[in-house]
Amino acid sequence: MVSKAKTFSSVLTLLAIGVTWEVAVRLFNIPQFVLPAPSAIVNTIARYSNYLLYNLADTLLASALGLFMAATFSLALSVVLAYSDSVREAIYPILSGFNAVPRAALVPLLALWFGLGMVPRVLTAFLIAFFPILVPTLTAMITIERELWEMLVAFGASKSQVLVKVAIPRATPYFLSSLHMGLTSAVVGSVIAEMVASDRGIGYVILSSTSRLDTPLAFACLLLLALITFTLSKVLSLVERRVARWAYRANI
Amino acid sequence: MEPLVKIRNVEVRYDNRNGGLVAISGVDLDIRQGEVVGIVGKSGCGKTTLLKVIAGLVRPTRGEVIYNGTHNGGGFRGIGMLFQSPLLLPWRTVLKNILLPIELRGEDVDSYVPRALELMERIGLKGFENSYPWELSGGMQQRVALCRALIHRPSLLLLDEPFSALDAITREDMWMLLQEVISYENYTAVLVTHDIREAVLLSDRVVVMGGRPGRVKAEVTIPFRRPRDLGLQYGREYNDYVAKIRSLLGD
Ligand SMILES: Nc1ncnc2c1ncn2[C@@H]1O[C@H](COP(=O)(O)OP(=O)(O)O)[C@@H](O)[C@H]1O
Ligand SMILES: [Mg+2]
Repeated sequence: MVSKAKTFSSVLTLLAIGVTWEVAVRLFNIPQFVLPAPSAIVNTIARYSNYLLYNLADTLLASALGLFMAATFSLALSVVLAYSDSVREAIYPILSGFNAVPRAALVPLLALWFGLGMVPRVLTAFLIAFFPILVPTLTAMITIERELWEMLVAFGASKSQVLVKVAIPRATPYFLSSLHMGLTSAVVGSVIAEMVASDRGIGYVILSSTSRLDTPLAFACLLLLALITFTLSKVLSLVERRVARWAYRANI
Repeated sequence: MEPLVKIRNVEVRYDNRNGGLVAISGVDLDIRQGEVVGIVGKSGCGKTTLLKVIAGLVRPTRGEVIYNGTHNGGGFRGIGMLFQSPLLLPWRTVLKNILLPIELRGEDVDSYVPRALELMERIGLKGFENSYPWELSGGMQQRVALCRALIHRPSLLLLDEPFSALDAITREDMWMLLQEVISYENYTAVLVTHDIREAVLLSDRVVVMGGRPGRVKAEVTIPFRRPRDLGLQYGREYNDYVAKIRSLLGD
């Protein structure tokens, strides 16, 4: 219950920023296509609510599917790579090499192969979200303290027992917290894909609205996207604290 | 009677980047059934290495270790280990931590619950079975680790400086608990420590190790009958043994 006062001060800060922004725009007569006032943004959200929600839902679906694929794949791959040192030594460098490829640059190729539909957006979200989940999860699995590992072996544990009874539970809080990073990465991925190769989604709306100098609409998109990602992140935190309570013992 | 463990001319060489390091060399040692053997020596003289050799965690580069008179350890009920840090799994309750060795051996976990509860009561953990490790003090966590080391009634108990992270008063409590549980279930134990007083108080025999490379310098039999009393520490005979071992350790 630490957070009540903190939440209050965050809200207050946000309000202050909003008011300053509003006043500055009016005072200096800033044209709307350069920087719309908060009131104009809120108006736009109200006016275009259906259109915005429809596209937002589209973006979220692509991000969610991408994140789900990334989470599943990272988890499965972590288990395999944690189990076999030789497979890990062979594959991990290739994966890090792939991580160095700017994934945004792959979108035109994905569009070429899969068209303008859902697939390239989900794949882009997946490709960007996958590594930030894999790395902490795998690291937690393979960095069991030496003494603990020796004790388990002395008790007669097999490699797969160590994996199931220690490595995977140990990695759970790291995996869950990496989903935050994965979530934002997935949203970035699908929005980029929508900007490059789509006729739907928040990314598409941002691109088309700025090309019409409809800056309030672009800002409305940004605001909604930030709000929803923030909310989903909070939901993830709740899940985290339920599933891996032991990892937060210092805060209890 | 045949010793429970026979260590014969054991050498361990660790290979590392700057060549090899002989951690222990020419070690001969018998560990007899029901005996508590203390091993003292300075830091780095190979005490942990010797314990790992006995546990089968490190293969000797020379010599051999024989359990129960056979090379495959027939009739050997495994070992229980206790380290300086309790190494508990924070996502498991105390009871589930204690039952871990049973789970790893693929035995019926439920049938060991009564034993776990009895051990917990004996070791002063009654009522903590559903607590999590992080809810306990360091001393209590080490008690959990002791229960876990004993749950499967190991043939041999290996203790590597198990009390050195505890405060002096908690440590004395743990000495008495350990002694009681060892007598009660008639364990054979090897206690590695750099605390000579601890070794003399708890052991039937103290092995003094010297370093570079680690070897057995001397063995001193401690004749006091077990169980012993903490008051023994203030007697002359006890202190004579402490002084003797101190001088054997050299400087
Ligand atoms: N895994 C290892 N690899 C290389 N050298 C080691 C390893 N473990 C221990 N040593 C070295 O072996 C020597 C003995 O170590 P150890 O058995 O831990 O001594 P002690 O327990 O008496 O302090 C030390 O010099 C230590 O640095
Ligand atoms: Mg040591």
